[in-house]
Amino acid sequence: MSDWAVAELMVVEMSRNLSAGEVAIMGAVSSLPMAACRLAQETHAPGSWYVAGGSGAVNPHLSPIPDSSCDERLLQADCVLPLPDVVMLEGRGDVFDVFFAGGLQIDAHGNTNLSHIGDVAHPKLKGPGGVGLPFLPLAGRVIVYTMSHDPRTLVEKVDFVSGPGFLGGPAEWSRKRRGGKGPALIVTPLCTMDFEESTLRARIRSLHPGVTAARVQEMTGFDLRLAPQAGIRETTPPSLRELEILRRIDSAGLLKRAA
Amino acid sequence: MRLQARGGSPGDELTSKICTATDAVARFVPDGCHVLAVGGMHLHNNPMTLVFEVIRQSRHIGRLVTSPSASLNADVLIGAGLVGEVATSYVGFEHLGLAPRFRSAAENGTLKVLDLCEAAITHGLLAGAGGMPFAVLPQGLELADVWRANPECYRMIPDPFGQAPVLVVSAIRPDVTVIHAAEADKHGTAWLAGAHFTDRIMAMAARTVIVQVERVVSTDSMSRRPAGSTVPGFLVSAVVEAAGGCLPTSSHGNYSYDEPTIKEYLSMARTAGGFEEWISRQAPERLAGVRAQ
Repeated sequence: MSDWAVAELMVVEMSRNLSAGEVAIMGAVSSLPMAACRLAQETHAPGSWYVAGGSGAVNPHLSPIPDSSCDERLLQADCVLPLPDVVMLEGRGDVFDVFFAGGLQIDAHGNTNLSHIGDVAHPKLKGPGGVGLPFLPLAGRVIVYTMSHDPRTLVEKVDFVSGPGFLGGPAEWSRKRRGGKGPALIVTPLCTMDFEESTLRARIRSLHPGVTAARVQEMTGFDLRLAPQAGIRETTPPSLRELEILRRIDSAGLLKRAA
Repeated sequence: MRLQARGGSPGDELTSKICTATDAVARFVPDGCHVLAVGGMHLHNNPMTLVFEVIRQSRHIGRLVTSPSASLNADVLIGAGLVGEVATSYVGFEHLGLAPRFRSAAENGTLKVLDLCEAAITHGLLAGAGGMPFAVLPQGLELADVWRANPECYRMIPDPFGQAPVLVVSAIRPDVTVIHAAEADKHGTAWLAGAHFTDRIMAMAARTVIVQVERVVSTDSMSRRPAGSTVPGFLVSAVVEAAGGCLPTSSHGNYSYDEPTIKEYLSMARTAGGFEEWISRQAPERLAGVRAQ
């Protein structure tokens, strides 16, 4: 059965990583994480919290999910913080358990880049900029997500670190790490990745239904070091209950249109 | 310059700060303005009436400072060739795409981009508002590459109280800040509806503030606004009444953004010629409304 859109599956995957009582935060273009947080609140993680980026809205009630992270409709929420308060709390490092992050480039160690591709002075592509991504080492853990699983997005090493992941790997990470545990997941339209403990490199954790490991490797710009016979489990599809709740939250069908 | 007053008791015209966008920009935004800060965040509360007027009067800006996430406000000023450098942490259109003129100017090397992080903009503005020379940033932000690429704004210094060095950002002190508010009275006290983003601290950090509003209201109604939602009139130099003045971006409390017009912009502004055509079509419409005051 695949009566769900891939963005819905991704939302459910992100949602399952959240636990009761946790506080999550997200930035621009955050329809997926917002839906994930709301879904978690209504299923397995009651009493979890989320702050919708620049709007400062705490637990926006959604339904529908707006496209923009600063939409006025988000202010229908449990409360609203002024943006400077949100920025201060991000700096404390003991308030936000989960930070949702994206990037033009995401690398094998979970670093993300929203700034530019190529040389800083003469970029081949100037991206929008990293906004709050430098806060990632201060969040409890990071959930990275992208709608573009391709070799240009998933690269061996980012051209510029906007959002630090495990930096250059275990040695640099153990020397420089702050309070946070670093990236936990990369959720894409093809698979969910986590990080190997010994190397802190991304690896396939589960394949979305119908996707092969070979296909994921083909679409990934870094070596996934797939073992030839290794069985990789399939991502558990959304349950009927999850879909029912999710579609009530996403009353405008935004996730079905996401590509 | 004669400022226009509206209504009120005798003598009000002497203290009224209400004027047209044309007058406000002519009087308070010098050509070659060193640091101009523009309010609004993402597709919301961009003070487009004032931005279009800055373009119409060809006011060159040394350094444009934005909220942590700029959008049309910065892209059109850059597209008009008026910006020497931009200090920002994001210029884009969220789900609608990248900022075409920002991107083109940065890639061609005609625009210097001073990449900041959200914390540097926010704490930099708070430092500017509080008279502090710089702001200390939370430890951990140094792990990103952002500060290394922007030595003009960031420095690493010894922590006078501790061991590890700390990252600091220079205070942001705009010469002029232009923001949108829902309402203001004639003395310049303005009320921000909805989310305030960094608009209030941008106003508090600036030497001169111009506020465009949906409506001018009485001082009486302003006095009942909650603490923290207003900018006091003593910080404001000019109030421009501009209903619909954020369009095609949204105005919290008033209207949503006009997605078809923004999409049309994104499509046309892929080329310099298309940008000019779009801006010449948009600006007169806005300015006509402003002149009609």
